[in-house]
Amino acid sequence: MLMVETQSAVSIDRLSVVFERDDGTRVQALRDVSLDIGEGEFVCVLGRSGHGKTTLLNVVAGLIPSYSGDVRVLGKPVKAPGVDRGVIFQKDAVFPWMRVEDNVAFGLRVSGMPKPERLRVAREHLDLVGLRNVPRAWPRELSGGMRARVAVAGVFASDPPILLADEPFGALDYVTRRQLQDVLLSLWERTGKTIMFVTHDVDEALRLATRVIVVSNGSVVEDQAVDLPMPRSDDALATPRGLELRHLLLHHIGLE
Amino acid sequence: MTEPGTGAASPLAGGAPEQRRPAAWGRWLAHFLVAPSGVLLFLAVWTILAIELPPSRLVSPYAVAVDLWNNFLRSPRLEVFGLGRTGYGALLLYTTRNVLVGLVVGSAVGIVVGIASARLRPLRLIVDPIVLVLGTVPVLVAAPLFLLWFGVVPFTQVLLVGGYSAVMMVIFAQRAAANVDPVYEKSAMARGASWRDRLFLVLIPGTLPEILGGLRITLASAWGLETFAEILGAPSGIGQAIKTLTNVNNVAGMLACVSLVALTAIIMDMLLVALARWVTRWA
Ligand SMILES: Nc1ncnc2c1ncn2[C@@H]1O[C@H](COP(=O)(O)OP(=O)(O)OP(=O)(O)O)[C@@H](O)[C@H]1O
Ligand SMILES: [Mg+2]
Repeated sequence: MLMVETQSAVSIDRLSVVFERDDGTRVQALRDVSLDIGEGEFVCVLGRSGHGKTTLLNVVAGLIPSYSGDVRVLGKPVKAPGVDRGVIFQKDAVFPWMRVEDNVAFGLRVSGMPKPERLRVAREHLDLVGLRNVPRAWPRELSGGMRARVAVAGVFASDPPILLADEPFGALDYVTRRQLQDVLLSLWERTGKTIMFVTHDVDEALRLATRVIVVSNGSVVEDQAVDLPMPRSDDALATPRGLELRHLLLHHIGLE
Repeated sequence: MTEPGTGAASPLAGGAPEQRRPAAWGRWLAHFLVAPSGVLLFLAVWTILAIELPPSRLVSPYAVAVDLWNNFLRSPRLEVFGLGRTGYGALLLYTTRNVLVGLVVGSAVGIVVGIASARLRPLRLIVDPIVLVLGTVPVLVAAPLFLLWFGVVPFTQVLLVGGYSAVMMVIFAQRAAANVDPVYEKSAMARGASWRDRLFLVLIPGTLPEILGGLRITLASAWGLETFAEILGAPSGIGQAIKTLTNVNNVAGMLACVSLVALTAIIMDMLLVALARWVTRWA
């Protein structure tokens, strides 16, 4: 039988993660998770606090080596972080000791790109996220929203095929968050990257994702394609289909 | 100043129009006016005490300055006591060189070992007990022992200062590395950084503010340690002069030497502060 199969970007098979706390108690953060993410998908991982979203993302990022199950990125088993995956962390991870442009160019620097070239790429990406005026600023001179833009520019400058983002806009005000969602969407449309985006916000998931995975108590309890046209205005989300999806997701994270 | 192309993002991106800060030299000027008033107060109290006390106990700052002037390049008085053809200046040079060599070598070793042991558990298991013993036993107790082992040579004092600096800086560097948020190293790793990149681009810059703070404390102690080691026994050094002049009750000469050490230590501390300020201007 001949099958035309698109390669999956991320494939997870029966993944479990158990943490041991310092006091000896054990937490099962992930339980038997299986998941397949195709190239170019924008997948939101939705779930309540403490239910295993970060853990799932970190396993794919290669930051949690002691998992059981099979996790592959572009066909290769995940053992360590790699340049095929860019990560935006839940915590602010912009280096305070580097100027904005050097932060954005960091990945290019460690990959050996010469300075003039990597600074040119960095400035291009600062432009894309609306930060063209502050390449030489120190991070402490930026607002939280501007630092979030620096993080976004940084991963896109390194140009990994897969982007893993852990509630990157979680600490921002509503308007800034909406602006950054638009920035991210336009970068996604322009580059066609595979994105795994963790959030606890149903509306954010509905605005961004082509597919939403709901994680509850360490298991995937819902895997829902979001078949709403892009770009998704507030009106588009208020259609019967939009509201239906919203109710479904709210139900699965434990409301309504 | 709205630039085309930044679109809706520009109000956030640019912030308020750029303005030059009121020049930093304004603050420096204030600093330079306020700081000397403390020195003046100190000298005033000293002068009053010198008037009250007999010259065999304390002499005035002026007498000290005169003694310093007369003995800086050549001090026949010290030659009489077997310190050779020398003056306060040459002796201070010996002391300063020992402090710097001991501090630089010792701190370099201490910082590297400290950072490395903060990240490599096996190394930490070896380093911690050593630091515990060396850090708890007062260094001054080891000084006579070093003198017995190595004799009256410069190396004895350098070793004391270097050993002490190393132990102190291991402790400072370990703590500094523990305070660097692990998210920075994770982020560096996720972006393809090798261990060397992580060390030089993340760990060292991230620990620098605390390490330089620690270095300041270590430098201050190094002066005391070096001078003390010289008093105990050394071929040269300002400590030898202090010891000799104290033995013959030369209060002016003794105070001149002490002032010289204090002044040099203060200047070096100021240089270190200026360097630290520049290196950690991001913080
Ligand atoms: N390093 C760790 N050691 C021990 N337990 C951990 C560790 N990391 C996570 N856990 C536990 O694993 C569970 C899942 O944590 P995780 O960080 O994945 O949650 P989350 O869904 O990302 O939550 P949030 O939305 O608050 O970020 C939690 O119960 C947490 O206490
Ligand atoms: Mg999380």
